[in-house]
Amino acid sequence: MSRRLMWVLLAVVAVGALALGSRPDEARTADERVQDIGGELRCPTCAGQAVATSDAPAAEAIRSQIRADVEAGRSDDTIRARLTASYGDDILLNPPRSGFAGLVWVVPVAAVVVAFGGLALAFRRWERTGPSGPSRRDRELVAAALGQDPGDSHGEGSGR
Amino acid sequence: MNASLGTAGVALALAASVGGVLTVVVAQAKGRPALLRQVPSFVGLAALGAVLAVVAMQRALITRDFSVEFVAENGSRATSLPFTISTMWSALEGSILLWGLVLVGYLAAVTWKFRDRLTDPLVAWALLAMFVVTTFFFGLMAGPANPFRTVPNPPADGPGPNPLLQDHLLMAFHPPMLYLGYVGFTVPFAFAIGALVTGRVGEGWLVETRRWTLFAWGFLTVGIVLGAWWSYEVLGWGGYWAWDPVENASLLPWLTGTAYLHSVMVQERRGMLRVWNLSLLCATFALTILGTFITRSGVLDSVHAFSESTIGPLLLGFFALVVVVTLGLIFWRGDTLRAPGRIDSPVSREGAFLANNVLFTGFAFVVLFGTVFPLLAEALNDRRVSVGVPYFNRMSGPIGLMLLFLMAIAPALPWRKASVETLSQRLLWPAWFGTGTVVACVVAGVRGLVPLVAFGMGAFAAAAAIRQVVLATRRNGWRGLVGRTNGGMVVHLGVVMIAIGLAASGSFAEQTEARLAPGESRTVHGHEVAFTSFTESDRDPTRTIREAEMEVDGRALAPRLQRFPNGSQEIGKPAVRYGVGDTVYLALLEGPRADGTILVRIIVQPLVAWLWAGGALMLVGTLLSAFPGRRRRGTEPTSAPAGRADRPDAPEADGGGTAGAAGAPDREPVGAP
Repeated sequence: MSRRLMWVLLAVVAVGALALGSRPDEARTADERVQDIGGELRCPTCAGQAVATSDAPAAEAIRSQIRADVEAGRSDDTIRARLTASYGDDILLNPPRSGFAGLVWVVPVAAVVVAFGGLALAFRRWERTGPSGPSRRDRELVAAALGQDPGDSHGEGSGR
Repeated sequence: MNASLGTAGVALALAASVGGVLTVVVAQAKGRPALLRQVPSFVGLAALGAVLAVVAMQRALITRDFSVEFVAENGSRATSLPFTISTMWSALEGSILLWGLVLVGYLAAVTWKFRDRLTDPLVAWALLAMFVVTTFFFGLMAGPANPFRTVPNPPADGPGPNPLLQDHLLMAFHPPMLYLGYVGFTVPFAFAIGALVTGRVGEGWLVETRRWTLFAWGFLTVGIVLGAWWSYEVLGWGGYWAWDPVENASLLPWLTGTAYLHSVMVQERRGMLRVWNLSLLCATFALTILGTFITRSGVLDSVHAFSESTIGPLLLGFFALVVVVTLGLIFWRGDTLRAPGRIDSPVSREGAFLANNVLFTGFAFVVLFGTVFPLLAEALNDRRVSVGVPYFNRMSGPIGLMLLFLMAIAPALPWRKASVETLSQRLLWPAWFGTGTVVACVVAGVRGLVPLVAFGMGAFAAAAAIRQVVLATRRNGWRGLVGRTNGGMVVHLGVVMIAIGLAASGSFAEQTEARLAPGESRTVHGHEVAFTSFTESDRDPTRTIREAEMEVDGRALAPRLQRFPNGSQEIGKPAVRYGVGDTVYLALLEGPRADGTILVRIIVQPLVAWLWAGGALMLVGTLLSAFPGRRRRGTEPTSAPAGRADRPDAPEADGGGTAGAAGAPDREPVGAP
């Protein structure tokens, strides 16, 4: 089989397997929902811990509130909204996407995009300049170096 | 007695550091290189002072000398010996003392290594930079972070360190390892400064400091992994990384340091990216100082942060100084730093290293920005915002996957330019290995796009690394395993193990809280967890232990609740049974009620052990990289016999067309006898 065909086959198999494997899992249990929502909330009385991972009384109180809400059939968004209403916006460990706090999402992504863009520009500039030939000084250097050192080449997988 | 001894030690180290600074400055300014021969004496005195101070602190802790404020606030008669020793780095002042000791250790090692070249300006300026850092830290200890303050009326006993810190022996190893890494970056930073000041910005200084950088990076890696391990075994919620400001502070220099370890190869090979590499190294060092500021100043909430103190502004000032000096020097040397040559194609080893650098520095930016954003929001917008685990996970996930992809294809890329043919041939079976892994996972019932992609990419990257190692060992026998390229591949394998462990344990944890009566059992994710009996013991004089005797799949496991004599509340100590696949984690939440039932948190997570094993593999790979493989001595072409130093092109041939113009006429060549 030609190598090109092997790559095409590989792409088909990979996409197929991922499509099959990313089917939504069975519905989350109440426990998992409490855990998931609690993981996105800051425990108000502990230093930098999530509600889901803290054994502080305040965290336990919020967990039981979430559990009650889950059992009452409220949606995740409603539960979060009810909690921010009583504890303030900064209980959310996932900062809001709008307003000033939205910057925390936008700025890093923009920075990475700009960096890759800069890299692409640099490559275009390098491409345009073309390879620079060795200068006279370079040739002298090589000649001097070859006089003492036979030089070495590095193939793939060499120990350099 | 201990306090005076310690104060004397700090004063001696500070005086010797200042002496070192003055000696180098005078020698360089007045052109009297002979003065530089005095440097080892100052280093020796600084080392003596630091050792004296540490011995005094340990003696005060061990003999329970509560007249020393640090011991009165952090020591306790009830603490056992190992944790008495580790008390030194469980609070602010003592941790700065450990920093000072490690720093002086590095200073002494550098002086010893370069003892025959002390009059070389590059080495002299590097030593000056190190002396300045030493002066700063011992200055902190002589002033606001004085570990040897005394109390007029010594208490009869102290509270002891935070109970969580006396719980696990890893506490004795994790901080020193972390400090060896953190502080170790001072050495390459100092040489970078030396290179900038002397204008010898070619590849000589890089090669000189290559192994120092690797050493620091390896220790930082081990320190971070040990810290994660400690969190997992102690904190009781089955987590190992919480994106806490203090954890982020240790990750930041690791990220930029990792970027540097890759991009430096482009400079060694092609002479390019000089400014970039210098900036990365200086950023790495600056981030260690900024990280210390974040940890020590109390500006951010954190579980691990030390108490609030006055050294914050000083650390911030020092950070600013480092940034300003570095930027100034790079600006000043701008012309010399302009690299000859160009990168031919983005599809090449160089191109991959550049993409790697964008991703790693981008990663560092995400972590830094997310960590300080609550401060920015409060200062600029007057609103409190929390940035936590879900944010960092969502931002770092895609970067992590892209890095895995890069790890998979980069080893197969040749330098300069790759053809489609070459890539297609070299990558075919690693790619099939990755795809096969995805198929196998799907067949085995694994669901979820992100973990599946992570497993597939991980397998792809692992196959690429293994292919490389196999090729090298086939060519060179066992020697194919050592050296940078192949040691690096072993490090990659460790990273892949960690990535797979993170994806699996993060995505497929199963957690439940169970109330169990004696004799009762519960099955969680195929593991039978049974509660047998409850015991209380005071066999350990340093704590009272209440223990639930439990069985996981028929094997004993005993989570505890412990109370330390001075602690107000009981602290849980989870019990963990690692497996190659699943790890079962038991945390006791409540002792027996009147009806004899206990409340226990049961967490079953896949592949947690892979995290620690991956860390060990990274260490092995780092050691293999540090071991000189079939590598020519990088300094050789740049060193010239003494008699030829006057030739303009002799000393720094690697500097291309700029070296002759850069050097002062009276400097000595690198490596001159």
